[in-house]
Amino acid sequence: MTQSETPPSSDGTRRRDLLATGTVVLGCAGACALAVPFVESLKNPAATPLSDRLLHVDLSSLTPGQDMTLRWRDWPVFIQHRTPEMLAALQAPDHLATLRDADSKVLQQPKDATNWHRSVRPEYGVLIGVCTHLGCVPSFEKPGSTPEAKGGYFCPCHGSHFDAAGRVARRAPAPCNLPVPPVTFLSDTKLRIGHSAGDPGFSMSDIQQI
Amino acid sequence: MTHWPRNFLLATSLTVLPAAASTPAQRGLMVFQQVCSACHGLEHVDYGDMSSLGLSTDEIRKWAADQQLPNGTDDNGDPKTRPATATDPILSPYPNEAVGRLANHGLLPPDLSRLALTLPGGAGEIRQILLSYAPAPAGVKLDEGRYYNTALKWKHIGMPPPLQDGMLTYPDGTQATPAQMAGDVSAFLDWVAHPHQAERRRIGIYVLAYLALMALLTFLLQRRIWKGRR
Amino acid sequence: MTSPLKTPDTDPRGWFERRLPVMSLLRREYVAFPMPRNLNALWSFGAFLIVTMVFMVASGLFLAINYTPDITQAFASVEAIDRQIPSGWFIRSLHMGGVTMLFACLYIHIGRSLWYGSYKAPRELLWLTGLGLMLMVMVTAFAGYVLPWGQMSYWGATVILNAVHAIPLIGQPLSELLLGGDTLGNVALHRLFVLHFTMAFAILAAIALHVAALHVVKSNNPSGIDPVSPSQTLPFHPYYTSRDGFALCLFLMVYAGLVFFLPDLLTLADNYVQANPLVTPRDIRPEWYFAPFYAILRAVPSRLGGLLLASGSLAVLFVLPWLDRSAVRPATRRPMVRLSLPLAFAAFILLGIAGMHAPTPAWLLASRVAMAWWFIHFLLVMPLASEREMSS
Ligand code: HEM
Ligand code: FES
Repeated sequence: MTQSETPPSSDGTRRRDLLATGTVVLGCAGACALAVPFVESLKNPAATPLSDRLLHVDLSSLTPGQDMTLRWRDWPVFIQHRTPEMLAALQAPDHLATLRDADSKVLQQPKDATNWHRSVRPEYGVLIGVCTHLGCVPSFEKPGSTPEAKGGYFCPCHGSHFDAAGRVARRAPAPCNLPVPPVTFLSDTKLRIGHSAGDPGFSMSDIQQI
Repeated sequence: MTHWPRNFLLATSLTVLPAAASTPAQRGLMVFQQVCSACHGLEHVDYGDMSSLGLSTDEIRKWAADQQLPNGTDDNGDPKTRPATATDPILSPYPNEAVGRLANHGLLPPDLSRLALTLPGGAGEIRQILLSYAPAPAGVKLDEGRYYNTALKWKHIGMPPPLQDGMLTYPDGTQATPAQMAGDVSAFLDWVAHPHQAERRRIGIYVLAYLALMALLTFLLQRRIWKGRR
Repeated sequence: MTSPLKTPDTDPRGWFERRLPVMSLLRREYVAFPMPRNLNALWSFGAFLIVTMVFMVASGLFLAINYTPDITQAFASVEAIDRQIPSGWFIRSLHMGGVTMLFACLYIHIGRSLWYGSYKAPRELLWLTGLGLMLMVMVTAFAGYVLPWGQMSYWGATVILNAVHAIPLIGQPLSELLLGGDTLGNVALHRLFVLHFTMAFAILAAIALHVAALHVVKSNNPSGIDPVSPSQTLPFHPYYTSRDGFALCLFLMVYAGLVFFLPDLLTLADNYVQANPLVTPRDIRPEWYFAPFYAILRAVPSRLGGLLLASGSLAVLFVLPWLDRSAVRPATRRPMVRLSLPLAFAAFILLGIAGMHAPTPAWLLASRVAMAWWFIHFLLVMPLASEREMSS
């Protein structure tokens, strides 16, 4: 019942210790390996490259200054048809100074949307409407609806401001720009969400913050 | 249950193969796509599941995009469709059971997801049925929509003979004889009915090896501990 | 080594121990715990049962994460686990193979207790908690088998719920409670799902009770004579931890063989056909672990009689400590029991085989003979043998 129960010979004891330690270590390693499939089963199946679902959108009824909200992979997607004034506002130097990431350095968009308008074509903006702070859905401030409204987004939860290109204002709690999904223009008014011809390797799981 | 010796032999012999299925199953997929899927679905299998059969992402996307799935109704209340995607199930071509029966003299072509498991005789029986069509002997009168087939107990079946010599071209140059196609498609259905089987056996070998090592270690350990104690 | 209870408060172990003495409890019950020296491999099956239950609960939790208890989606959600959920096939096989391992170990564990007379004084409560565990495992297995909503799930559950219904007095309210509707449907599926996992956790609690009872009366041993002096015992650790560890590796190899190489060996293929309330499968059979009781049900040409004898075949085990009054424990030292008990074991196995075959006259006859021997052994041979042994 005490130490005296173990074999007395000293080199026997040492060999047994090696054997005992090795067995316990290997046993624990096996138990950890067993946990792998369990953890694996919890993975989000939609995050595999195969599951980037495609959504075809007809833009012909979206007049300049208008916006629409769609559902893609259970996320709200904002599409806006930008007016020349909105585009000018996006480039104004004093506006750029108020932004956290004016040059879209953080990977929140495919390569073909890493530009000043954060979209494939300047006149259309496509954004995932999930606030990068804590996930609420920001609302669109239609240009001209209030004196300050320039076609940006305002998140009601903790007051984050985004401009029309989804770039976050520095005074806001949200850390990153709104995510941009991969899109391809099939024609002037036909848009496909889910795959980008300009950045074919891009997947939504590459996005830093969503 | 009755197949266990065969299963056991397969289990020990197949584990050296790579995780992807062998070519008969891949050719069988072609037969399914071009012949069987005209009437049958694999409703529990996704297009994307074919990646473990060796299909590339693009091949899967292309196949899926060619299939139309029901997608709610339009503003007039008429049914709409959309192209399938990789994560959609391989549905039967019939939108519902009634249409399926109407098209097949009142019989519904069964789903094939687990057929090779649930049909007594398994994949071998599927192959047998596909190859056992014959002209009805004189004096045998069959109802409309029934076809003489010696593999079945009642000698008839509701499925018209699906395989014709040379009805498709295999990219690997294999001759598409009925016997070839029947063998291939039953290999494919066997693969479909036993999901992840190759991976299961491959991992199983490692698990058994690990446990055997642990058994050896614990055996030595307990023998040492018990020395002179019995 | 000094007890941590006596160290000054500055020693964190002593501080902890005086407030919550778990370490000394573990030491007392699982390290220094005195075990007979002469236990054989049959004493490892209790450890197998605990390990299997851990596997069952772990895999069950992860299955529940992906399972949908709704008759329109249950079957498809199980197919998705097998096909699309990453590693889902493994988790499901672990659960399905685990049931087989659990019942196999249970039956061997009980057989061991019968052979070595472990149910006798002072271990009656240990025996009864064990039998209670067996009933709980059976209820859990029944409820779990309904969940995939295949043909066998549906028709097996229909048959069992109707059998419950036929029990006098309590049967009707009980089956209505489980069914919650006119026929087996969504409400019943929900209830059986909740019953299944609630019972699983209740089993864990009951195991704690069972082991607590074991630690009061200590293990029996093949000689049937309890050790009287410390020299006749060995500490649980490292002696039996190392031996159980070795046995466990062999046990897990069998379990892994089932999971990785023969997943379809003991499952009924018909359960991969979705439940259809309009068509009963031609060849309806129970899973192997219920086959002996199913055989009794079929062998008796009366519904109530079959139910009574099937439950009676278990009930005799509950009263066994009082049917068998002899002080001699192991069958090896009891000439009559040594002959009769192996025959009762054979009868149980024969009933199991009969239960998995179509009820031809030959199998019905075999079932009846086997069933008769089961009852003769427990109700006649055991009291008689103890009578004779006590008078001699
Ligand atoms: C989930 C089910 C069960 C678990 C986890 C379990 C666990 C255990 C463990 C760990 C032991 C000590 C090791 C051993 O003697 O094998 C034990 C002993 C015992 N169990 Fe169980 N058991 C279960 C079911 C049963 C059943 C169904 C019975 C009988 C009706 C039973 C009767 C006994 C008896 C009599 C002993 C003492 C045996 C002896 O020392 O000779 N147990 N059990
Ligand atoms: S969630 Fe949008 S500001 Fe906090």
